[in-house]
Amino acid sequence: MENTKKRKPWVNWALFIGTMVLVFLLGLLASSVIQRKAEKEYVFKPTVKISEWEARNEVWGMNFPREFQSYMGTADTSFRSLYNGNAFIDMLEEEPRLVILWAGYAFSKDYNQPRGHFYAVEDVYNSLRTGAPKGPDDGPQPNTCWTCKSPDVPRMMAKLGVAGFYKGKWASLGSEIINPIGCGDCHDPETMDLRITRPALLEAFTAMGKDLSKATHQEMRSLVCAQCHVEYYFDKKHPGAEDISYLTFPWKDGTSADSMLAYYNKVGHVDFVHAFSKAPILKAQHPDYEAFLTGVHYDRGVACADCHMPYMKEGGQKFTSHRVTSPLAYINQTCQVCHRESEEKLIENVYQRQRKVKEIRDQSEVLLVRAHMEAKAAWDAGATEPEMQPALEHIRNAQWYWDYAAAGHGNSFHAPLEMARIIAKSIDETSSARLLIARILQKLKRNADVPYPDITTKEKAQKLIGLDTKTLSQEKKEFLNTTVKSWTGR
Amino acid sequence: MNPIFRALIPPTRWRRPVVVALGIIAGLSLFLFYISNAASYLSDNPKTCTNCHVMNPQFATWQHSSHREVTNCNDCHVPHDNVVRKYFFKTQDGLRHATIFTLRTEPDVIMIKEMGQRVVHENCIRCHLQVLENPEEVEESGEEEEAEGEVEWMQRKCWECHREAPHGTVKGLASVPHAMITPQKPPVPEWLKKLVK
Repeated sequence: MENTKKRKPWVNWALFIGTMVLVFLLGLLASSVIQRKAEKEYVFKPTVKISEWEARNEVWGMNFPREFQSYMGTADTSFRSLYNGNAFIDMLEEEPRLVILWAGYAFSKDYNQPRGHFYAVEDVYNSLRTGAPKGPDDGPQPNTCWTCKSPDVPRMMAKLGVAGFYKGKWASLGSEIINPIGCGDCHDPETMDLRITRPALLEAFTAMGKDLSKATHQEMRSLVCAQCHVEYYFDKKHPGAEDISYLTFPWKDGTSADSMLAYYNKVGHVDFVHAFSKAPILKAQHPDYEAFLTGVHYDRGVACADCHMPYMKEGGQKFTSHRVTSPLAYINQTCQVCHRESEEKLIENVYQRQRKVKEIRDQSEVLLVRAHMEAKAAWDAGATEPEMQPALEHIRNAQWYWDYAAAGHGNSFHAPLEMARIIAKSIDETSSARLLIARILQKLKRNADVPYPDITTKEKAQKLIGLDTKTLSQEKKEFLNTTVKSWTGR
Repeated sequence: MNPIFRALIPPTRWRRPVVVALGIIAGLSLFLFYISNAASYLSDNPKTCTNCHVMNPQFATWQHSSHREVTNCNDCHVPHDNVVRKYFFKTQDGLRHATIFTLRTEPDVIMIKEMGQRVVHENCIRCHLQVLENPEEVEESGEEEEAEGEVEWMQRKCWECHREAPHGTVKGLASVPHAMITPQKPPVPEWLKKLVK
């Protein structure tokens, strides 16, 4: 030891100091890395704290003024494309045939082209389909009808449970469901991550054997929309919630029009019995997401938000537009991100597809109206139920295929080829039905042509099916002036 | 044994403390390797580039562009003509970025350097070569003679005209304040899972 000390004492000091400096610098670097990693979390810290069940979109808007302002753009109703857009369009007025096709169902009373998210609650008040309930336990519709209208829904579901929420009449939750579809429906209030808030989508994924919690960010940019823009039905046989209108997506065996029809036939679901033909009809809702899955844009990895919520530039900032609307309203931010053609050319490409699908859809509707009228003539002539049963099955299938193509607002562009296939199936089913009915009529010695009804206007068509829309509108007016005012306080 | 190596070996009684000191240094280095996600830099995953949040604008704009379907960051921003050049460039560029970021000297609006520009331009040509070689397109632009050989192609950069591809003209961290880069929570919240069960 003495020897070492005497010989080179500085070596040990150098070793000591060198190690100290090295460890000090390494520690400094490590703490810097940790600090900068923490900064990453704070890049995205909102200033106003938003609680888990915050349903007021304007409160979220304090943190995200640009997103909120663009969301408020859904109040705009000035954009009209060839068939749709965000304007108010009375679809029964446009196509009175629909009244006949839905005779016996609430859709024959009132059906409009949907306006923006901003109107979600207001339009469900206004629709004749929801009737004019006089008290919380009155009216034709269940609470299930609120499910896709408001960020107040998750809050109430957490309180009442899922089945507890669906239970009861639509008017019973009127004073709770106030804010139109908005921030909380798709975003986590703390991190702003996209999240699922509606049980039906989660249940449908589980039924298909898929794990929704494994969805990527890009998938979520479509799946948040798929919480509502899908085909659904009210399952009255849901285990543990019998006789409650339990919101269910018929996806267990797949999301194609054919597999959903097979599913409905398997579970024996009927939405309504047609007033004229007595066929057990399925009402397709709006299978937008399912149709999109069969189109080329989905195949190429595009999400709903890519076209319906484009990335916008305002001053020096970029943000996602929350003015969810037709991409045709701002082609430069939507189509032209990928396609280099001119605006005129791109619009023409869209309209061309829509026109062609509409052309065959119109034909299928006329044939379906004929089938319903001819079935009625057969009943009137004394046809029996066993005789009619096979024909009615065909009418059921035909109307499902037609409605699947018609009810999805963007279907004819999202998947033109698939829609053409589905409409062809509808026409095929209709002709099978009409052939069978013609034979029955022949057997009953009714050989004259069944005339096509005079349904040139909505009024004529509604009169034909025996709807008293005047009284319905009167009652609705009363309801809006009294009950709705008591709900909203406005 | 090598005399230099021998000189580094401490006297017997000092060996234990030196081993401990070396252990501390190695441990800290490993810790540094771990917290900085160092292994991820060997991959091509675009998420790696957002290990430093200053790259958020570049990530967000790419993610909203059509290029996201066919490219990742490295497809454009590192050379692809040979493996040696690729990793040499990646190391060189990466170490420079790391140094600037650690010293907190990164500018608010990050502009590409000359060396990076050349690589990106090469990569534009690597994928879009057909457009340049198509004689019809060259004739239309009236630059048939100029367009002969690689030298001319390198004189003007693609983005002198194609300014928005793919990151757009908006730059800087403040330009994408609410871009969603890395989700922190799973898409199905716990309360919903409980409600459905």
